[in-house]
Amino acid sequence: MKNCEKIDKIKRLDFRLILALHISLLFSSLSGVCSKLAANEKLFSLPFFFYYGLVLLIMFGYAIVWQQILKRMPLTVAYANKPVSLIWGMVWGAMIFNERITWRMILGASVIFLGIYLVVTEDE
Amino acid sequence: MNNYRIAVGVLLCSVLISSVSQIMLKVSANKTWPNRLAEYFNPMVILSYGMFFLSTILTMLALRYVPLSMSPILESTSYIFVSIMGYFLLKEKFSKRKLTGLGLILVGIFVFSF
Repeated sequence: MKNCEKIDKIKRLDFRLILALHISLLFSSLSGVCSKLAANEKLFSLPFFFYYGLVLLIMFGYAIVWQQILKRMPLTVAYANKPVSLIWGMVWGAMIFNERITWRMILGASVIFLGIYLVVTEDE
Repeated sequence: MNNYRIAVGVLLCSVLISSVSQIMLKVSANKTWPNRLAEYFNPMVILSYGMFFLSTILTMLALRYVPLSMSPILESTSYIFVSIMGYFLLKEKFSKRKLTGLGLILVGIFVFSF
Protein backbone atom coordinates (compact mmCIF):
# COMPACT_ATOMS: atom_id res chain seq x y z
CA MET A 1 0.00 0.00 0.00
CA LYS A 2 1.34 3.44 -0.88
CA ASN A 3 1.96 6.05 1.82
CA CYS A 4 -0.70 8.49 0.61
CA GLU A 5 -3.31 5.72 0.61
CA LYS A 6 -2.40 4.85 4.19
CA ILE A 7 -2.65 8.46 5.41
CA ASP A 8 -5.99 8.72 3.65
CA LYS A 9 -7.21 5.67 5.52
CA ILE A 10 -6.01 7.09 8.86
CA LYS A 11 -7.84 10.39 8.24
CA ARG A 12 -11.07 8.52 7.65
CA LEU A 13 -10.96 6.86 11.09
CA ASP A 14 -13.70 8.32 13.22
CA PHE A 15 -13.78 8.93 16.93
CA ARG A 16 -16.24 6.12 17.63
CA LEU A 17 -13.86 3.57 16.17
CA ILE A 18 -10.99 4.81 18.38
CA LEU A 19 -13.33 4.74 21.39
CA ALA A 20 -14.40 1.17 20.55
CA LEU A 21 -10.72 0.26 20.25
CA HIS A 22 -9.95 1.68 23.71
CA ILE A 23 -12.94 0.07 25.37
CA SER A 24 -11.84 -3.26 23.91
CA LEU A 25 -8.26 -2.67 25.13
CA LEU A 26 -9.45 -1.85 28.66
CA PHE A 27 -11.70 -4.92 28.54
CA SER A 28 -8.81 -7.11 27.36
CA SER A 29 -6.56 -5.88 30.18
CA LEU A 30 -9.07 -7.44 32.62
CA SER A 31 -8.20 -10.84 31.16
CA GLY A 32 -4.72 -10.35 32.62
CA VAL A 33 -6.31 -9.74 36.03
CA CYS A 34 -8.40 -12.94 35.74
CA SER A 35 -5.36 -14.83 34.45
CA LYS A 36 -3.35 -13.81 37.52
CA LEU A 37 -6.29 -14.69 39.81
CA ALA A 38 -6.49 -18.15 38.17
CA ALA A 39 -2.71 -18.58 38.50
CA ASN A 40 -2.94 -17.87 42.23
CA GLU A 41 -5.56 -20.61 42.74
CA LYS A 42 -4.85 -24.32 43.13
CA LEU A 43 -4.49 -25.90 39.68
CA PHE A 44 -7.79 -27.48 38.47
CA SER A 45 -9.76 -26.27 41.51
CA LEU A 46 -13.22 -24.74 41.05
CA PRO A 47 -12.04 -21.10 41.46
CA PHE A 48 -9.21 -21.86 39.04
CA PHE A 49 -11.67 -22.92 36.32
CA PHE A 50 -13.92 -19.97 37.11
CA TYR A 51 -11.17 -17.38 36.65
CA TYR A 52 -9.63 -19.14 33.65
CA GLY A 53 -13.11 -19.39 32.12
CA LEU A 54 -13.41 -15.62 32.52
CA VAL A 55 -10.04 -15.21 30.77
CA LEU A 56 -11.33 -17.18 27.77
CA LEU A 57 -14.64 -15.33 27.76
CA ILE A 58 -12.87 -11.94 27.72
CA MET A 59 -10.37 -13.17 25.09
CA PHE A 60 -13.19 -14.49 22.91
CA GLY A 61 -15.14 -11.23 23.01
CA TYR A 62 -11.96 -9.23 22.45
CA ALA A 63 -10.82 -11.40 19.52
CA ILE A 64 -14.09 -10.89 17.67
CA VAL A 65 -14.09 -7.12 18.22
CA TRP A 66 -10.36 -6.92 17.40
CA GLN A 67 -10.78 -8.72 14.07
CA GLN A 68 -13.55 -6.30 13.11
CA ILE A 69 -11.42 -3.31 14.19
CA LEU A 70 -8.46 -4.60 12.12
CA LYS A 71 -10.71 -4.68 9.08
CA ARG A 72 -11.58 -1.01 9.54
CA MET A 73 -8.17 0.45 10.34
CA PRO A 74 -4.55 -0.26 9.38
CA LEU A 75 -2.71 -2.70 11.64
CA THR A 76 -0.28 0.13 12.52
CA VAL A 77 -3.00 2.43 13.89
CA ALA A 78 -4.63 -0.35 15.89
CA TYR A 79 -1.22 -1.26 17.31
CA ALA A 80 -0.37 2.40 18.07
CA ASN A 81 -3.13 2.39 20.70
CA LYS A 82 -2.21 -0.98 22.17
CA PRO A 83 0.54 0.24 24.56
CA VAL A 84 -2.14 1.57 26.95
CA SER A 85 -2.05 -2.03 28.20
CA LEU A 86 1.34 -1.13 29.76
CA ILE A 87 -0.50 1.39 31.96
CA TRP A 88 -3.44 -0.91 32.76
CA GLY A 89 -1.04 -3.71 33.76
CA MET A 90 0.68 -1.46 36.30
CA VAL A 91 -2.61 0.02 37.55
CA TRP A 92 -4.25 -3.40 38.13
CA GLY A 93 -0.99 -4.89 39.45
CA ALA A 94 -0.69 -2.14 42.08
CA MET A 95 -4.41 -1.91 42.93
CA ILE A 96 -5.41 -5.58 43.02
CA PHE A 97 -2.20 -7.51 43.68
CA ASN A 98 -0.30 -4.93 45.76
CA GLU A 99 2.64 -4.99 43.37
CA ARG A 100 5.28 -2.35 43.95
CA ILE A 101 5.61 0.15 41.12
CA THR A 102 8.99 1.88 41.08
CA TRP A 103 10.16 4.95 39.14
CA ARG A 104 12.51 2.64 37.28
CA MET A 105 9.52 0.58 36.10
CA ILE A 106 7.69 3.73 34.98
CA LEU A 107 10.85 4.89 33.15
CA GLY A 108 11.16 1.48 31.44
CA ALA A 109 7.50 1.52 30.42
CA SER A 110 7.91 5.07 29.03
CA VAL A 111 10.91 4.00 26.92
CA ILE A 112 8.87 1.04 25.60
CA PHE A 113 6.00 3.44 24.86
CA LEU A 114 8.33 5.65 22.81
CA GLY A 115 9.77 2.59 21.05
CA ILE A 116 6.31 1.31 20.13
CA TYR A 117 5.36 4.78 18.86
CA LEU A 118 8.41 4.83 16.55
CA VAL A 119 7.70 1.32 15.30
CA VAL A 120 4.05 1.84 14.47
CA THR A 121 4.43 5.31 12.93
CA GLU A 122 7.54 4.55 10.87
CA ASP A 123 5.83 4.82 7.47
CA GLU A 124 3.82 8.00 7.99
CA MET B 1 14.39 -17.04 41.39
CA ASN B 2 14.86 -19.95 38.98
CA ASN B 3 11.08 -20.37 38.71
CA TYR B 4 10.84 -16.67 37.90
CA ARG B 5 13.30 -16.98 35.00
CA ILE B 6 11.51 -20.02 33.60
CA ALA B 7 8.18 -18.18 33.91
CA VAL B 8 9.60 -15.19 31.99
CA GLY B 9 10.74 -17.60 29.25
CA VAL B 10 7.30 -19.25 29.15
CA LEU B 11 5.62 -15.85 28.88
CA LEU B 12 7.93 -14.86 25.99
CA CYS B 13 7.07 -18.14 24.17
CA SER B 14 3.41 -17.32 24.71
CA VAL B 15 3.92 -13.87 23.16
CA LEU B 16 5.66 -15.41 20.13
CA ILE B 17 2.77 -17.86 19.62
CA SER B 18 0.14 -15.13 19.89
CA SER B 19 2.15 -12.88 17.51
CA VAL B 20 2.07 -15.64 14.89
CA SER B 21 -1.69 -15.93 15.40
CA GLN B 22 -2.11 -12.15 15.00
CA ILE B 23 -0.25 -12.23 11.67
CA MET B 24 -2.46 -15.10 10.51
CA LEU B 25 -5.59 -13.14 11.46
CA LYS B 26 -4.32 -10.16 9.48
CA VAL B 27 -3.60 -12.32 6.44
CA SER B 28 -7.10 -13.79 6.73
CA ALA B 29 -8.73 -10.37 7.23
CA ASN B 30 -7.06 -9.18 4.01
CA LYS B 31 -8.79 -11.91 2.03
CA THR B 32 -12.31 -11.65 0.69
CA TRP B 33 -14.67 -14.31 2.05
CA PRO B 34 -18.04 -15.27 0.52
CA ASN B 35 -19.94 -14.60 3.78
CA ARG B 36 -19.50 -13.66 7.45
CA LEU B 37 -19.52 -17.30 8.56
CA ALA B 38 -16.56 -18.11 6.30
CA GLU B 39 -14.85 -14.98 7.63
CA TYR B 40 -14.71 -16.52 11.11
CA PHE B 41 -14.76 -20.25 10.36
CA ASN B 42 -11.94 -20.85 7.91
CA PRO B 43 -8.91 -23.05 8.70
CA MET B 44 -6.51 -20.12 9.13
CA VAL B 45 -8.73 -18.28 11.62
CA ILE B 46 -9.55 -21.47 13.55
CA LEU B 47 -5.86 -22.39 13.78
CA SER B 48 -4.90 -18.89 14.88
CA TYR B 49 -7.56 -18.92 17.63
CA GLY B 50 -6.24 -22.34 18.69
CA MET B 51 -2.77 -20.84 19.04
CA PHE B 52 -4.27 -17.88 20.88
CA PHE B 53 -5.89 -20.37 23.29
CA LEU B 54 -2.53 -22.09 23.87
CA SER B 55 -0.90 -18.73 24.57
CA THR B 56 -3.55 -17.91 27.23
CA ILE B 57 -2.66 -21.15 29.06
CA LEU B 58 1.07 -20.41 28.90
CA THR B 59 0.56 -16.80 30.04
CA MET B 60 -1.60 -17.94 32.96
CA LEU B 61 1.00 -20.52 34.05
CA ALA B 62 3.74 -17.87 33.81
CA LEU B 63 1.70 -15.40 35.91
CA ARG B 64 2.18 -17.70 38.90
CA TYR B 65 5.65 -16.21 39.20
CA VAL B 66 5.58 -13.08 37.00
CA PRO B 67 3.93 -9.92 38.41
CA LEU B 68 0.86 -8.71 36.47
CA SER B 69 2.48 -5.30 35.91
CA MET B 70 5.33 -7.02 34.08
CA SER B 71 3.16 -9.03 31.72
CA PRO B 72 2.33 -6.20 29.24
CA ILE B 73 6.02 -5.20 29.37
CA LEU B 74 7.12 -8.63 28.17
CA GLU B 75 4.22 -8.68 25.73
CA SER B 76 5.71 -5.63 23.98
CA THR B 77 8.25 -8.06 22.47
CA SER B 78 5.34 -8.90 20.14
CA TYR B 79 6.29 -5.76 18.15
CA ILE B 80 9.70 -7.32 17.53
CA PHE B 81 8.18 -10.66 16.54
CA VAL B 82 5.47 -9.04 14.39
CA SER B 83 8.04 -6.78 12.65
CA ILE B 84 10.27 -9.71 11.77
CA MET B 85 7.32 -11.77 10.50
CA GLY B 86 5.85 -8.74 8.72
CA TYR B 87 9.17 -8.35 6.88
CA PHE B 88 9.14 -11.93 5.63
CA LEU B 89 5.42 -12.62 5.20
CA LEU B 90 3.74 -9.26 4.47
CA LYS B 91 6.75 -7.68 2.73
CA GLU B 92 6.85 -4.82 5.26
CA LYS B 93 10.10 -2.89 5.27
CA PHE B 94 12.59 -2.31 8.08
CA SER B 95 13.37 1.41 8.28
CA LYS B 96 15.94 3.07 10.56
CA ARG B 97 13.02 4.49 12.54
CA LYS B 98 11.52 1.06 13.04
CA LEU B 99 14.86 -0.42 14.12
CA THR B 100 15.34 2.45 16.60
CA GLY B 101 11.86 1.79 17.99
CA LEU B 102 12.49 -1.93 18.35
CA GLY B 103 15.81 -1.14 20.07
CA LEU B 104 14.03 1.20 22.50
CA ILE B 105 11.49 -1.51 23.31
CA LEU B 106 14.36 -3.83 24.25
CA VAL B 107 16.08 -1.09 26.30
CA GLY B 108 12.77 -0.35 28.07
CA ILE B 109 12.29 -4.00 28.96
CA PHE B 110 15.78 -4.14 30.48
CA VAL B 111 15.26 -0.86 32.41
CA PHE B 112 11.93 -2.19 33.71
CA SER B 113 13.19 -5.65 34.63
CA PHE B 114 16.60 -5.13 36.22
